[in-house]
Order: sequence, then structure tokens, then C-alpha cells
Amino acid sequence: MKKVFLAAALLGASVSAQATAPGGPGCGWGNLIFEGKSGMPVHLLATIVNGTSGNATFGMTSGTNGCDTSGALTYSGESLLSMNGVLEEVAQDMATGDGEALTALSVSIGVEGTDRAHFNSVMHDNFAAIFPRQDVSAAEVMQNITAVMQQDQKLAKYV
Amino acid sequence: MRFALSCVILFYCLGAQAADLETLAEQPRWRALLHINPGATLRDRQRSYVDDDDFFLAADGADDPLAELRATRRALAPAGAAERCRFPARYRFLAEQLGWDDPAPFAHCADYQEWRAAVHAKRAVLVFPASYLNSPSSMFGHTLMRLDQGDDGAVWLSWAINFGAVTTEDDNSLFYIYRGLAGGYPGRFNLVPYVQKIQQYSNMESRDIWEYTLDLDQGEIDWMIDHLWELKDINFDYYFFDENCSFRLLELVEVARPGSGLLDDLRFAELPVNTVRSLDQEGLVTERHYRPSKEQELQALSERLDRDERVLARRLADDPGLADSAAFQAYPETRRALMARTAYRYVRFVNRKAARTEDVAGRSFALLSLVNRLPAVPEPAPAGRTPPEQGHGSQMLAVAGGQRGADDFGELTYRLTYHDLLDNRAGFLDGAQIQGLGITLRGTESQAVDLEALDVVSIRSLAPRTEFAKPLSWYVEGGLERVWAGRRRLARYVQGGAGASWRLGNLQPYLLASARAENNSDFAPLITTGGGAEAGILYHAGRWQWQLGGAGHYFINDVYRHRTTLAVQYALARQHGLRAEVEREGWRGDGDTEFKLQWRWYFD
Repeated sequence: MKKVFLAAALLGASVSAQATAPGGPGCGWGNLIFEGKSGMPVHLLATIVNGTSGNATFGMTSGTNGCDTSGALTYSGESLLSMNGVLEEVAQDMATGDGEALTALSVSIGVEGTDRAHFNSVMHDNFAAIFPRQDVSAAEVMQNITAVMQQDQKLAKYV
Repeated sequence: MRFALSCVILFYCLGAQAADLETLAEQPRWRALLHINPGATLRDRQRSYVDDDDFFLAADGADDPLAELRATRRALAPAGAAERCRFPARYRFLAEQLGWDDPAPFAHCADYQEWRAAVHAKRAVLVFPASYLNSPSSMFGHTLMRLDQGDDGAVWLSWAINFGAVTTEDDNSLFYIYRGLAGGYPGRFNLVPYVQKIQQYSNMESRDIWEYTLDLDQGEIDWMIDHLWELKDINFDYYFFDENCSFRLLELVEVARPGSGLLDDLRFAELPVNTVRSLDQEGLVTERHYRPSKEQELQALSERLDRDERVLARRLADDPGLADSAAFQAYPETRRALMARTAYRYVRFVNRKAARTEDVAGRSFALLSLVNRLPAVPEPAPAGRTPPEQGHGSQMLAVAGGQRGADDFGELTYRLTYHDLLDNRAGFLDGAQIQGLGITLRGTESQAVDLEALDVVSIRSLAPRTEFAKPLSWYVEGGLERVWAGRRRLARYVQGGAGASWRLGNLQPYLLASARAENNSDFAPLITTGGGAEAGILYHAGRWQWQLGGAGHYFINDVYRHRTTLAVQYALARQHGLRAEVEREGWRGDGDTEFKLQWRWYFD
């Protein structure tokens, strides 16, 4: 009993914070699925030795969320969006018009530095068109971004 | 023609420079490429740290850098050699030193070329996710290396080089932890998108991240990346204390810049924060960037709201439909924008580990749409923090003098690691305490020097509850200490508790229920258990830190004991602190009072 208590106390709130399960039923909005299958000692160890289970990845496969299994080597706009959790951050940045996720997206699309502020404001103004529903998928978002960019004089040349 | 010429040069080299190979094998870069221990840690001195036959071309390559150099030269010399594809950095080293001239030495290496085209960098950044409350397993932090593809702000497109143990999920037991600490698992480098690391640390684990740009030029960074490829699927031993993530990163920097002096000193443990200090001292850090955790950002946002607004934001998070209510609409647009943003951040924060549900997705979406319709307000930057490398050293030595009852005493304390609630707070988290292996010796006028206390471990996490976060506060500690049991005796004990803590300006009250198991030579049961409570209040102002606290326990053998302490520490300097303590220990019918003045010196 004491051991259980100690283990629980030692682990604190961090149980299940590690394992990112891939895929799952959907790949849309806020798709962060965390499973507690790894168990307490496993997790504790994983944190203290920064463990990875199984084969260590080496840049060959990116952590996509199951919608995109092509394992892109570099990030294109689309593969960035399909990574776990990124869509949500991009949405947040678009809603406010600024942020690192939005910067990364514009760089991966190839928008030049001089046009990035403009890109940000266009994305901000068209948030409702790019994220029309709560269950929008990464691929749809990418299509919508492309469509919005095509309508814009300065941004059309990038798509 | 060119081929013939290189053959001539090659044979010339083979003949004339045979003797020079010995000096070449002694070169810092060659030794760095083989991960030879220069005497930086105890195990494998003057041998390679690599524990993998695939990494060596000579049978005794791990022990003999010269033999490995000879074997490598033999294997890499022929154009089209398969080994070139595995050892591009070694090839580069030999080509530079021996004058090999092949314009396209890796033309036949499709995998390497493809990887190298994807993994390129203009900037190398050491990343230090600091520790966080409520998880002692993060207590010493972690370090990784970030490779930025450009010099813009698109760090979400960067790579993260991470060294960690490769574990299997079969061994689900405490043995697992033991193996992790004792070197039972292989350690490997891996390379993942940096954004995954941000999500892991900043979002999931609420850890602040410190990022240190390193003064490495393009050529040096290329050495590092080429060498990284050589470490793909290569096993090292992983030891938690010294041969860990941080130590391996120093080795990578040594490959980039041989003779950097980073591995000169012998160490018994490599703390991530000390890695940052080493790099800083060697002048390798050019810039520092603080990335607050999502929880910190939420905290900073909510501090911009007054109490009514906080309550409304909290309700808005549960029901975004309130956006149309008169109560919400009564506020000016900018205040509404702040509340909407706080509500959104809150929904994301509390659901960060949960599976997606229609409800959460719906509320998130509604709130984000609301944020988008309201004017943009600049996000408040979380309060500036002292960077962890500027905090006090991890070890401590203290001397104290005082009086207990009528006896004067002198005291000497050594603590291996790391920080308690009153230690100089710059660079540390408020309300977090992690102590390991502390020993206190005490001598009095009437008695010779004797063991006063041995703290094996003491962890405390007093995380304040707010409108938006309701964390548990808890503690656990164990070791030897002197307590009253008929007379003052050395007792072996384990104690722990859980409860809550709050923040009121600079005051932090806490209240915990607690349990204790004790063994001493007076109590009849071998292990006597007891229950009780603990309450107190912390206060900090500038260099001053105060604590007033009390704890009481009632044991199954009808013994009752309590202890009340008032303590204050003044931070004299980064590495020095002065502490005064008054303690009242009471038991049924009597008690002792102790005064103590202590000077604490932090080092390493």
C-alpha cells in the first residue's frame, strides 16, 4: 500500500504524459490522443532517461497523426499541418494573426520574409473560411489556405 | 586520368604518411569522432563510449584509435566504398588530413544524400526544458540540441537531436527503473521534429524551455550533422548520472569544435544545468531565449484579468454561448478579447492530455472563432525569470551554530543536491524542493560529534491553486533524523503528505494531510505509523524568504509529537545564503526549543 502511495506521489501528475498514440479515428481538430498503456514505472523511467521505446527515429519519419503516413522528410505546408497538434496551434495563431506556428507554415509554403506580415493578416481575416467547421481536416485546411492565397494579389504567386 | 592521379597520391600517402598516422590518431577530432573518453567520466577511460560493434571497422577499434584509423583509411579509400556512406565525417577527416581529392565522394550513397538534404542547419541551439512542479522525474531537466534550417523564427521546422535510452515495454516493473539508472538500457541518438518536443514539454508537461544559441559556424555545424549520421542506430550505454543526454551533447559539440575544453574535467554526474554552464563559460552561448510553458502563458493571461473577469472567463470556457450574454457584452472589446483568449487557453490546457471529444472540440472552435472576431490584443509576456544557469550551484556545504535547550552546538552539513524551499530562489521554481543525500553532523559541549540527520530524499511540490488550475500539493521524504522518543534518538523514517496550496501576492499558504512511518530503538512496534497534518505559509520578497510552518503526528502507540518552525533565509550572493531558524519540538508534557544560525555555501 505504501509503495503504491509512494509511486503515486513520485509520479505526480505526469502519468500518461508521454505516449503519443498515432492515428486514431480522426485526424482533424485537436487530435491529441494520449493513452495510458505504458504504465507508471515505464513512464517514470521514460522521463528520467528520456527514453524512446522501440527503434529510435532518425528524421526519416515525421510524427504524423495518422492522416498522412507518407513520412515526409521535410515539412511541406501539408505535412506540417498533419503533424499531431500542429493544426490546433495554426488555428490559434490564425485566429489572433500571429505566432510561431503561423510563421512555420508560411516558411514551409515558401512565403518570403517581406510578405509574411501580409500572409498573417490575410490568414487572420479569412479564419472563418479556412476553418469553417470544428471537424475540418488538415487536408481541407490546406486546400482552403491555398484557395485564400489564390484570391490574394501578393500571395497568389506562392501557390 | 583523375582516378589514376588519385591512385598515385593515395599510394604516395600510404607510403610516406604511415608514421604520421600515429599523430593523426591522437588528434582531438579523430578521438571525438570515436567518442574516446578523455577522462571526463569514470567508466571506459581512454576507451570509446560506444558500445556497438557496428561502429568500429577494426576488431579492437573501441580501444585503439590508431587501429581504427588504419582500418578506416583502408575501408574508405576506394571510390565507391560502401563504408563511405556510413562514415561521412570520418571520410571528411581523412580526406582533409591525407589530401584525398574526390569531388563527389558520396555519389553512390543515396540514403545518406537524401537524409543530408533534409537535415541541414544554419544554427545550432542547445535546448533546456527546465524542471516542473509535480514531477520529480523531471527534476534535473533535460537537454537536447536543435538544428535550425534558417535564421528566421520558423523554429517549428527545426530538428531536435535527442539522446535517450531505448526501452522496451516488456519489463513492466521496478527492475525497469533500476536498469535505467544502472546502465541496463542502450542509449541512442534520435532526430525528431522540434515541434514534437515543444508539444511534449511546453504543452503536455508544463515545462518552461530555455534555448541557447551556440556560437558554431556553418563548417562546425556540418561536422556535427555528418557525424550524427554515423551514430544512426548506434548504441551507447546509458547511465542516468553521468553518461546521459547532456553529456552526449557535449561530445557532439566536441566533434564540431575539437579542443573546446568541455570534456576536460572528470565528473561524477552531469546535470543538464551544468551543461549549460559549461557551454556558457567556454563562451559558446551567444543568445538566450525563454519559452514559457502553456501553463505559464495561461497564468500570465489570467493575471491581466480582475476577479470578476476571471470568473466570467472560466464560465465562458464551459459555455461559449455566454459570449452573447449581456454580462459579457457589457465589457469593452479589448477586455472581451482577453477573456475569450483566456477561456480558449484554459480549455486547451485542461484537455491537453485527453482524447478529443465533440464537446471539447466544439467549445475550442467556438472560442477561437470568438477570439478571431474580437480585436487582437498583445499576449502579455510572462514575468521575466532568472535563467536556470544563473541559479545557485547544485551542491551545498553549510556550517551552523546554535542552542538547543541549554546546550550550545556546532553543525556541519553537506548536501549533494539540490534545492529546498528557502534556498536562494533566483533561477528556481517557487514552491519546489528537491533534496538528495544530505548529511548533518552536530557536536555539543557535552557530547562528541554525532550524526544529526541523513536526508536520503526530500521532495516537496507546493503548486498554488488558481481559478484555472487545481494542482495537488504533496511531499515525500525519508532518511534518518533525531526526534524525541523517551530521549532524543536517531529515527529512520518515511513521511509523505498531500493537500493544497494557494498564492496571495507574495504569500503562499499550504495545508497538507500527512502520514509517517518510523523506526527507533524506543518504540515497541518495529515500524510505528502515525498520521497528522502540516500547515504553513511561505513568503518571499527580494532576497528574503520566510517560512512559518508546523506539523504534528499522532502514532499508533499513543505518542504525540509536533514541530513548529520559523525560518528565514537571506541571499547574500548567488552562491551564499544566511539562514536563521527557531524550532519548537513538542511532545506530551514537554518540549525543546532550538535556535540556529547557518551559513550556506553552494558550489558546482
